[in-house]
Amino acid sequence: MVSLAGLIGRPVFGPDGREIGRLVDVVVRHGEETYPPVSGLIVKIANSKSFINGARIAVLTPSSITLSSARINLETFSRRPGESLLDADVLDHQIVDVDGLRVVRTSDLYLAPFNKEIRVVGVDISFMSFLRRLFPGSISRRPTPEHVLDWASVASLTDSTGVVRTSATRSALSQLRPADLADLIEDLAGREQGALIEMLDPALAADVLEEMEDDELEGLLRGLTAESSAKLLTHMEPDESAEVLRDLEEEHRESILSAMEIGTAKRLRELVSFDEELAGGIMTTHILIVKSSDTVATALRLLVENRERESSDGVVVVDGKGKLLDHIQTVELIGATPSSLVSELMAKPFPTAVTINTPINEVVEEFSNNRGSSIIVIDEKNKPIGRILADDLVDALSQNRNRFTQGGVSRS
Amino acid sequence: MSNITIPSGRKLRIAAFLAVMGPGVIAGLSDDDPAGITTYSQLGAKYGYRMLWVLVISTFALIVFQDLGARIGVVTRQGLIGLVRQKYGARAGSFSAVALILANVGTMTAEFAGVAAAGQLFGISRYVTVPLTGFLISALVLRGTFKKAERVFFLLSAVFISYIVAGFMAHPHWGEALHGMVVPSMPFTRDAVNIATATLGTTLAPWGLAFIQSYAVDKRLTRADLKLLRADVWVGSALTGIIGFFVIVTCAATLNAEHITNITDASQAARALQPLAGTLAKDLFAIGIIGAALLAASILPLSTAYSVGDLTGSPAALDDKFDEAPLFYLTFAAITVVAGGLIMIPGISLIWILISSQVLNAILLLPLLAYMFGIARDKKLMGEFTAGKRALTLYGVIIAIVAVCVLAQFWFIFKL
Repeated sequence: MVSLAGLIGRPVFGPDGREIGRLVDVVVRHGEETYPPVSGLIVKIANSKSFINGARIAVLTPSSITLSSARINLETFSRRPGESLLDADVLDHQIVDVDGLRVVRTSDLYLAPFNKEIRVVGVDISFMSFLRRLFPGSISRRPTPEHVLDWASVASLTDSTGVVRTSATRSALSQLRPADLADLIEDLAGREQGALIEMLDPALAADVLEEMEDDELEGLLRGLTAESSAKLLTHMEPDESAEVLRDLEEEHRESILSAMEIGTAKRLRELVSFDEELAGGIMTTHILIVKSSDTVATALRLLVENRERESSDGVVVVDGKGKLLDHIQTVELIGATPSSLVSELMAKPFPTAVTINTPINEVVEEFSNNRGSSIIVIDEKNKPIGRILADDLVDALSQNRNRFTQGGVSRS
Repeated sequence: MSNITIPSGRKLRIAAFLAVMGPGVIAGLSDDDPAGITTYSQLGAKYGYRMLWVLVISTFALIVFQDLGARIGVVTRQGLIGLVRQKYGARAGSFSAVALILANVGTMTAEFAGVAAAGQLFGISRYVTVPLTGFLISALVLRGTFKKAERVFFLLSAVFISYIVAGFMAHPHWGEALHGMVVPSMPFTRDAVNIATATLGTTLAPWGLAFIQSYAVDKRLTRADLKLLRADVWVGSALTGIIGFFVIVTCAATLNAEHITNITDASQAARALQPLAGTLAKDLFAIGIIGAALLAASILPLSTAYSVGDLTGSPAALDDKFDEAPLFYLTFAAITVVAGGLIMIPGISLIWILISSQVLNAILLLPLLAYMFGIARDKKLMGEFTAGKRALTLYGVIIAIVAVCVLAQFWFIFKL
């Protein structure tokens, strides 16, 4: 095992034992493999930095590298996507210790031949290893692997593209709870935040975003490209992403919306334009609509298709013109004959609905009158366009209360 | 959002806290600690109004670099020392940590010296006051009851605002004061250079820079909070300068006019408050000194311990247990014990400690400012907040001024 920190600045020899130059940095390639292989070396030869392919490393010792051929390729190094420089990007930088759920600093990295290539196998985060590096000479190069994390259990977040793609890390991250991930992300700096988010599966990332604080989220989105932001916001519940978008500056919001699929963007634009104090501003547009002439089987299929959504506790029934008739619970649908028509299940009490312009306090009144878990929002033509769930209302109310209690303290 | 109430509540508290007593104001008032007051008093007593311009430059430098520190903290989410390690490597990180620790031990010693001097005004020996203070601070900070105590210290140190009243009552020569502020002049003597360097070092103190940055990181302040934080930093820094100005002016109008040009103990410095407080001047001075010393002495070891944690990559907090964060507690203890021990060396001059510790501050400031300069221009770290050409020129000029002072200081040390 070779200490990377000790190796930097050491001589690189040709096959004849003559010194070619000094090691500046080690380049690794992140792919689907757990332990990233060394793809090349950056070596200072005379006064310029050159790239030497990793395949030409013949001997690797803690204090020097010997190459298999003396041919020097004098092209300057340009970083390709998915590569990172171990000294410039990883050593002494913050990394995420996925098992320990914390942000730590890299004291050293250990290289070892493994599976035909030289690879990064471990990350040292101990204070002793850090102190060891302060000493001159060979002490600084001796590996002190007391607190070494397996490379597979860390998320290093800095390379040219901002993302270190290690499949093992990604799967480890996906095991974490969204709330824990949100805490980790809030601990990181802007660039690293974006990198970590982009490592996650979009659906999980959206959950994490929903757990983050408003200010943090706004800062995070500012660091991401419009395309990535658009992708994440599309995966969030429409009312939640509308709330986020509403808080952004107009220019920023437009850049994200224009990167979205047209239909989604249109729906979100509409939601954003609604006043937060009115029903339209807090509703979710995700409702399942069936016609009264549809069969129970059709309605159930629709429910199954949308089972991931929180609004799947029932369907909204409309007439041929799309006007609201009833809301039917999933339980009722399951109990009915699949071939029967939805209209046969319709019965009193018919759902009360509010319009998009109903003030929140009236929505609250409606809720307490009919004791349901949700309320349907209709437009001027009596067509259902969204629902307000009890938890949306709770969010909206607590937010308002805070706004009132903040009173004179302006935080714009 | 499903958990909107909690963050809003937290934000509300931060907003309210920042508005009343933000980190910038704390750092600002702590800058007017015993070392600060003594240095400013000495400047006014010895040189009257003519070296006020040193304070003007120092205050300006303080505003500029505290503002930068706040920005670096918010944008990078890392403390100063951790960033230096990341950007410049393990040795540079350790070097900056050692510089900060040395400067902070020096300043901590000055805080103890302040308490000792105030105690002596009432005839209480430093061998009683210093250990007592060390014990009191450790107990308050480590037991987590610091927040309440902080307010008390803060109020006590606000006694120094009475220098503003005293300044007016002493009927200073405003014309000369204005002249001294804008027309730089000083005798090129070892003593004048010493006091100018100390003024710079006490105003733009290294610990203040590290403190403001780690405060922003620790409280997880975001870009949305930056406006408020910067306002707080500007107010706090300006307050340092304003109080400093009145201390100098008051001393110039009283001590210097009475030909007391070399302050050798606290009772002489306290006489500057006589136009306001008459025979109570001594008491007022003592209360202020003790308040400011305790306020700064509570923050200093904590801020230093935080920076050391930042270097190792495991920023510790007060709610960690000893075996979770041994380094944090050891640093805290070491700073307090070493500083307290230095003060108890028999026969050591308190005034000498007060001034020299601030000269040391200025010397150790130099590498830290240079690192901050490097971080400010780093696009990878600062993103859209990367300093432009004009800002960098400003930082460069200030660093050059500090360098000139330090060089002049060394020139006198080795020449004479």
